[in-house]
Amino acid sequence: MTLTTTLIAGLVLGGTYALVAMGLTLQYGIARIMNLAYGDMIITAAFAAFVVQALPSMNPLTGLAIVVPGGFIFGYLVYVFLLSPLVKRAPDKATLEVDSILTTFGLLFVIQGVLLVLFGSNYTSYTFLNVPVSIFGTTVAANRLIALVLALTIGLMFYALLTRTRWGTALRAVAVSPQSAKLVGINTDRAAAVAFAMGTALAAAGGTVISMYQTFTATGGVVFTMKALIVVIMGGVGNLLGALTAGLVLGIVETTVSTYLDPGLTLAATYTIFLAVLLWRPEGLFGRRV
Amino acid sequence: MLTLDALSVRYGKHIALDNVHLRVDPGETVVILGANGAGKSSLLKAISGLVTPEPGVSITLDGHELAGVAPHRIPDEGIALVPEGRGIFTALTVDENLALGAYSRRARAGEARQRDFIFDLFPRLAERRKQIAGTMSGGEQQMVAIGRALMSNPRLLMLDEPSLGLAPVVVGELFDALGRIGASGVALLLVEQNVTISLELAARGYLLEVGRVVGEGSAAELKEDPAVRQAFLGLNA
Repeated sequence: MTLTTTLIAGLVLGGTYALVAMGLTLQYGIARIMNLAYGDMIITAAFAAFVVQALPSMNPLTGLAIVVPGGFIFGYLVYVFLLSPLVKRAPDKATLEVDSILTTFGLLFVIQGVLLVLFGSNYTSYTFLNVPVSIFGTTVAANRLIALVLALTIGLMFYALLTRTRWGTALRAVAVSPQSAKLVGINTDRAAAVAFAMGTALAAAGGTVISMYQTFTATGGVVFTMKALIVVIMGGVGNLLGALTAGLVLGIVETTVSTYLDPGLTLAATYTIFLAVLLWRPEGLFGRRV
Repeated sequence: MLTLDALSVRYGKHIALDNVHLRVDPGETVVILGANGAGKSSLLKAISGLVTPEPGVSITLDGHELAGVAPHRIPDEGIALVPEGRGIFTALTVDENLALGAYSRRARAGEARQRDFIFDLFPRLAERRKQIAGTMSGGEQQMVAIGRALMSNPRLLMLDEPSLGLAPVVVGELFDALGRIGASGVALLLVEQNVTISLELAARGYLLEVGRVVGEGSAAELKEDPAVRQAFLGLNA
């Protein structure tokens, strides 16, 4: 592989990481829920995209219009019925953290079980625009380029929504200080539910994008949870642009390591970066929060 | 305008406020004096809905009952709180802090006018609109906090220890600004340990001791009150 090919492959992977990490950082930063079932929500969306694109006169792109709002609604319901009771009874942040980790850990297996029943344990994939495209003197599959463009477009759209509108600014204010958010008239309970739902919508977008160029399996969610978590911590918890940048960096590093060293070292490289960040920059590569 | 009747607040077995009665008239500036732990902050928090008072209480604004109203609905009633320690959104810019101050429905119509008033009051904020609020000096952060509260276009502005941790010169400037806010027709309910300067600003005051009102009167009367002179002004009665 040439350097350009590696770089493009890295950006495609990194764009996906960035997209899903933004969703996790919303859920953890604003709704204060550490969602261990996050990767399984991504996989669920991948399967949903797989089903929807096979419908008459549908494709994965038009499928986004169903899968992403579906993710939002699913996330909202999970928050209202499963998590909000925990939030209400938790006397402090630490208790909520433990309770939400245990609950979403359970949810992980429920989602996985349902997917196994519906789709089995085999690797699943579908063909979408698997045609070579020439770019910067190298050839790439069209579906990967679309995946990259989609990931960046959706990620930046959500970023603009959160930073350029009063409504989005209010969500970020809840991440900074829930108490003060109430004082200016923000309904923090609803803000948390919406943030969790938006995070799930981003997971759904990520899952659809992934399904366009990768194979996936019902039990593959945990890898995505881990990757998203690493990217969130690298970028700084609650920092949206940090998540975007850290996602791209991780994608490029992983692809470079697997191309020039050994594919078996990809995970090792990921965790080495993760440990280095935790040891030397625990507040994330980009410092400032939110 | 604001009337508190039989306000009691307890945290477990600890009684923070015990049957407090208090009123603020339209456009009036009222100060609550008291030592640490006298229950001053609990009083403001109870009005803001941040702590739940004991049953039997009545908190009314122009006859409208506020007890039991959720905290995020209080700005719509025309009451804003500048909390102790300022409580600004440190990671957001000055502009974003002010915009969030106008989040309530009540605030939207007069938003531009309020912003002009605030920038006229605190020209420093106009110069630093894009600065991250958490990187500003203590006095500037207090300006952000007061500006954010004013953006909700309140009829009653409550401030919890606004002078805390600020240099005397800065406190002087801040109280000049509070004077101008009061003169614009907004009622002020102030909790302060800096008795001298707050009795110059306020028309009336209450003296709070371990959760009970033990004295009330005009600022002039309170200045002469032996308890106030001894406890806060360091003077002999």
